[in-house]
Amino acid sequence: MAALGGGGTRWRRAWLPALQLLRRGSKAVTRHWKAMHFQRQKLLALTEYVSPRPAVPPRCLPRRSPQEPQEDGYARVLRRQAEQTLRDSRMVAVCHYNPMAEEDVATLRHYLRRHNIHLKFVLNEVMRPVLAQSKFRELLPLFVCRNVLLVSPEAPAREMLRVLKGVPHVTLLGACIDDTILSRRGVENFSRLPSLEVSQGQTVAALSLLSSQTSSLLQRGPAHLTALLDEHIRRLQGTGGAPETPPGH
Amino acid sequence: EKMASKVSVVLRPVKSIVVRFCPFESNVESTRKFLQCIYHKKVQATNTNCEVTTDVRHDGSEPVVDVMFADGDRLIMKGAHLTAGEMLTALASRCNAKDLKEEQKGKKKNP
Repeated sequence: MAALGGGGTRWRRAWLPALQLLRRGSKAVTRHWKAMHFQRQKLLALTEYVSPRPAVPPRCLPRRSPQEPQEDGYARVLRRQAEQTLRDSRMVAVCHYNPMAEEDVATLRHYLRRHNIHLKFVLNEVMRPVLAQSKFRELLPLFVCRNVLLVSPEAPAREMLRVLKGVPHVTLLGACIDDTILSRRGVENFSRLPSLEVSQGQTVAALSLLSSQTSSLLQRGPAHLTALLDEHIRRLQGTGGAPETPPGH
Repeated sequence: EKMASKVSVVLRPVKSIVVRFCPFESNVESTRKFLQCIYHKKVQATNTNCEVTTDVRHDGSEPVVDVMFADGDRLIMKGAHLTAGEMLTALASRCNAKDLKEEQKGKKKNP
């Protein structure tokens, strides 16, 4: 190092940069910041990236109208399934669902399946457009927070209420049975109704009541007369008299 | 459920909670969310003796949450214009206050 002295200005006359740099300078890759060679600096400055700019700035161009949100295929499938379910079932009950354990859900599903009731978890975003276009428009305000649908091709209201009584996590909010929207109390009243055959018999009996009363009224006179005549005959026979022909013949 | 885990209500001093609402009204969302948070298993685990009852009406009445505490106090929250978070924080603050009072009473008895 003493023989070479300090590199740079002092020894300009005999300056072999390759030799001197190798002997005195640090390596190419250093732990400290090393000044770039001037040629390298010039090359990098020349080859700096210049971003392409459009001739007309984009803010001067007319703004594109916001595109409509693209329809999700999965949402479409879910909506179609929901429409089919609503169409096929006679009873649709909407219940408020509080989170419960998986095995409880499975048990509830099992007990409902025994009475041919299907438990369906629904998403509000999928159900809202379906309901708005169908006849269940009144059920729209029910679809807030997590809900669960109990659908069935028959209308087993009594069994459904019995099962739901044992499950506090699921609360019945309202139902649509046979195209009639019912509240919770309506469902309870519906469950207390007698079966179709019994109610048909009751209707027939109520309708025929008046006509049967009329016929009994009309028959009361002759029936009374016949009873009196029979009594008279018995008395005559009882006193041992001759079998006279009763008056009136 | 996220709100329940954030607010962490301790239901020890609560005897019963009655949630009354009419589902066909439009102002019941916060009450229903409150009900969902109350039914979370962590909150239920803090007090298994607490009875949570849901009363579903159809008379157009306002949603009401009625909380009965073990020492006879009663908290009535009308959920028509409250959010679920507000109701939960109100309940949590009162439960914590009552818990602290109970602890202090216990400490005074057994010094």
